[in-house]
This record gives sequence, C-alpha cells and structure tokens, in this order.
Amino acid sequence: MTDMLSVKDGTKIFYRGTQDERRALDGLNVTLKSGDFCIVIGSNGAGKSSFLNAVSGKLPLDSGRISIDGQDVTKLNAHRRAQFIARVFQDPMIGTAPTMTIGENMLLAELRGKPRGFSYGLTAARRARYSQQLAELNLGLENRLDMQVGLLSGGQRQSLSLVMAVSTHPKLLLLDEHTAALDPRTAKLVMDTTVRAVDELKLTTMMVTHNMEHAINYGNRIIMMDAGKVLVDIGPEEKRGITVPSLIDRFHTKSDAIALQGA
Amino acid sequence: MLDVFNSFYGLIPVTIAQSLIVSFVVLGVMLPFRILNFPDLTSEGAFPLGGCVCGTLIAAGINPFLAVFVALLCGFAAGCTTAFIHLRFKINTLLAGILVMTMLYSINLRIMGRTNIPLFTYDTTFTLLAGPAANFAWVKIAIVGALIALVVAAMLYFFMSEKGTSMRAVGASPDMAEAQGINVSTATIIGVGAASALSATGGSIMVQTQGFADVNMGFGILINGLAALIIGEAITGRQTILRQILAPVVGSLIYYQLISFCLTLGLAPADLKFATGAFVLLMLALPNLRKSGGSSQIREKIRE
Repeated sequence: MTDMLSVKDGTKIFYRGTQDERRALDGLNVTLKSGDFCIVIGSNGAGKSSFLNAVSGKLPLDSGRISIDGQDVTKLNAHRRAQFIARVFQDPMIGTAPTMTIGENMLLAELRGKPRGFSYGLTAARRARYSQQLAELNLGLENRLDMQVGLLSGGQRQSLSLVMAVSTHPKLLLLDEHTAALDPRTAKLVMDTTVRAVDELKLTTMMVTHNMEHAINYGNRIIMMDAGKVLVDIGPEEKRGITVPSLIDRFHTKSDAIALQGA
Repeated sequence: MLDVFNSFYGLIPVTIAQSLIVSFVVLGVMLPFRILNFPDLTSEGAFPLGGCVCGTLIAAGINPFLAVFVALLCGFAAGCTTAFIHLRFKINTLLAGILVMTMLYSINLRIMGRTNIPLFTYDTTFTLLAGPAANFAWVKIAIVGALIALVVAAMLYFFMSEKGTSMRAVGASPDMAEAQGINVSTATIIGVGAASALSATGGSIMVQTQGFADVNMGFGILINGLAALIIGEAITGRQTILRQILAPVVGSLIYYQLISFCLTLGLAPADLKFATGAFVLLMLALPNLRKSGGSSQIREKIRE
C-alpha cells in the first residue's frame, strides 16, 4: 500500500523570537496509508488544528515537507491543494456558502480543484446527479436544490458539507471536529453518514475530535498529539482492544512522563 | 400644484436617461458590496476617472467607442488597485477605497490638464449612433437602455456560470471558497476591478450626454448609488441572483424620479445630499429600529 499522506519534520512556530513564541508543530512526522481512517486527539493547544491546517495548506510550514499520494505539495497554497483534499469544518456556517443555494454549493464542490469555465453552471444533468447524491442522506434535501443553504439547520448544513466533501472522491478527507457543534442525535446521524461514506469510497481520512467515544468506535488508527508532536500512535491491531479509560490512561501516563523528563 | 406635476412630468424622460447612466455605477456599487462582501468606495473615484479619460480622448479626436473602452480599462485598473491594497497590505476595504479615490482626483486632473473639457463640438457615441437625433432624451434612453440590458444579461449569465458561481462563493464564505480550490485573491481583484470598470463606463457615458467632462463630476455618486441600491433591493429582494442584479437598475430608475419630484416640489438642491444621506441612514437603521438590540445583517456588514 502506498502512503497517501506524509508529513516529515513539520514545524510551525508562531511569534518566533518573542516572549510569546509558541511551537504549534514541532518536528511532526505522520504517515497515512491509503484507506487509513485516522483519528487525531489531544488536549487544547496540542497542535491538532495546526496539523490539519498545515495539511490543507491554510498554514504554511516554517520547515518540513508534506506530500500527498507521492506528490510534494509543501509549496502549494490552500486553493491549489484542494484538488487532493476535501474538508469539513467544525462550524457549519463556514463549510458552506449560506447565501447560495444547495445546488450551487454542490456545484462548487464538484468543481473543486478542476478548471472552471464560462459555461452554464447548474445544468439539468448536474441537478439530477446532485439530487441523487443528496437523496442518500434521507433529509429531503434532494427536493430543495434551489433553497438557500442559510435556511438549513446546523445538522443539515453539516450533512450537506459532508456530501460535498466526499462526492468528489478526494485523495484525503479532513474532518475538523465536524460534529462538535451539533446536538448528540444530529451528531450521531452525521457521524454515521461519515463512516458509511468513508467505508464505501475507501477514503483516506483524518478526523480531529475531542470525543473519546468517537476515537474508540471509529477509524483504524489513533494519533495522540501533544506540544506539536505525535505522542502516541495506535495502529489497527492495538486499536481493536482499546477502551476509553485505557486511552485516557495512556494519554496521561505518557504526558506525565514527558513532564517528568522535562523537570 | 398642477404646475409642479407638469414640470415633474416633463422631466421624466431626462431623469430616466440619467438614471440609466447612473445604474452602471449602482451595479458597480452592488457587485463588491453584495456579491463579494467587500464594501468599496472606489466608484466615487472611478466614475470621474471614466469621464475624464473618455472626455480627454474624445477631445483629442479619438473614436468615442474606443474612448469608452479605454475609460472602462482605466476603471478596471483602479478597482484592481483597491482590492490589491486591501489583500496585500491588510488595509480595511473602505480605507483602501478612500486612498485610491483620493489619489484618483489628482490623476484625473493630470489626465485632463484642466478642470473642465467641453465636448459639445465633438462626435460622441450618441451622435455616431443616432446622428442629429442624439440629443433627444428618448434616443439616449434607447441607446443606454439597450446597453444596460446587455450588461445585466451578461452579468446574470456570468454569475450563473461555473466561474461566476465561484466568485459569488468568495463573497459568501471565503474559507469555504478556498477549500473548494477557488483563488480568493484573484476572484476579489477581478470582481472589484469589474465593479470599478462599470462605474467608469457610467462616467464615460455621462460626459457624452452632458457635453463636458469635469474633474468634480459625480461628487457624492457613491451615496446616491447606495440609496438607489437599497430602494431597488426593497422592491426586487435579494433571494436570487436575478433579483440582486436587477435591483440596481430598478432602484436607480425609481430613486432619480424621487429626487426629481422632491426638487420640483421645492427642495433646495443644496439640501439634496443631506436628504439622501438621511434616507440611506434611515434605511440602514430601520432593521434595528424595528427590533432594538436585535442583530441585523446590514449593520454587521457595514461595521466590518
């Protein structure tokens, strides 16, 4: 199996040379194999978001290399990397264009990373395809292609955002706490849809979460981050037997050990 | 009272012609403000820029159609500059617009070499198209009306095309647009540039109908444009891109009739800008007056 994502010595330092200097990423090394569903956990400020933003191109690295499916993308900015990457944001308001219709949002996603021309956007063929894709959500969105996305509930918008992300079969799917802003029932619905899509399409996925249950129940790998580095990397075999207490336990043992070393 | 109505009635065609010309500017105000979420003041400088460039070229014996096209390009460059200043130096969009608008005043003076150029004796696009009939208001209405219909249709098609949809996404949610592989900076620069190109085109048509170019022309055009836009949106709504693009033209047509009516009623021209400003203020404040303390989208947009 090939490496779908590889981050080598990724380093990002904010406010370098000042008192507030903060190492968001400190020589980070991560490799994802094709088809990996990797859960990224860690406390606040551990570097999860910086990691995700560095991969998406939103946050340019100070040093280190990032490659996707063997291609070095370190120097590509976010909109160029979008040809490989689809992303679902934590905030449902950010991941979709609220003043545009459901159909137009689907169109924007379909053309992600592809050349956009002057031809008419929402053709009948596209509308039919979008309806079909949205019908799988069972939310009735397929009949509301001309409805403004801003009128949808948070859960509906996040589900739409997910369909938009997976419908293009991206090489890499980034999920940034994408269920955190939803109520538990809706969060479960969106999570179920996520898992189904990832399984069906064999997408290489990276999911940041604070939800330990999600970390245990989903995916085949867990990466625990701390201080901009990978603290623990739990592979498929080991992950099967893991429970919430043992996970939290491991997290604390390891970070305490580091704290002791530092003292 | 009958006198008032008679003189108002007599002014209707002239006012329609004027409002059609200004609707270029209103489109130029709407595009950055509503579609790109980039409140922009460049129009105030791009409008006279278009007029000065076009007037100077016509007076130099250049073909009027070419003169309009060059004016359009100059306006585009002005808008691009504003967007670039905002994106590159992180300067607030309104301030960037004020900077460009202020500097344009000197540039306009330099282009003309004096403050006013009369154009009565030269051929304009209107005299080339309509000959001696060019001075009739209805002829102007027909020519400018056809042009504005063409522009509205072109904009409508563009904003429903693949490229245009991505430009609208930049205004709706920049983060989302970037994640969908859209170059936010490029789209912003081109969009704001196109808006100023529209304003400059309006200026270039204005000088040809009024028969002179003046460096002070169009003072306060931006607030007039905003007032027209708000009236238009109150009538057409903003739910679809068609309504959003029609709003400037509809608003401009009504707004200038209202102004004309107020003037014939006896409103002193000196008070006009105050009245317009008060009207815009009222329209922007209205959502907050209705439910005090509640949040309003317009207010948030202005504050940004």
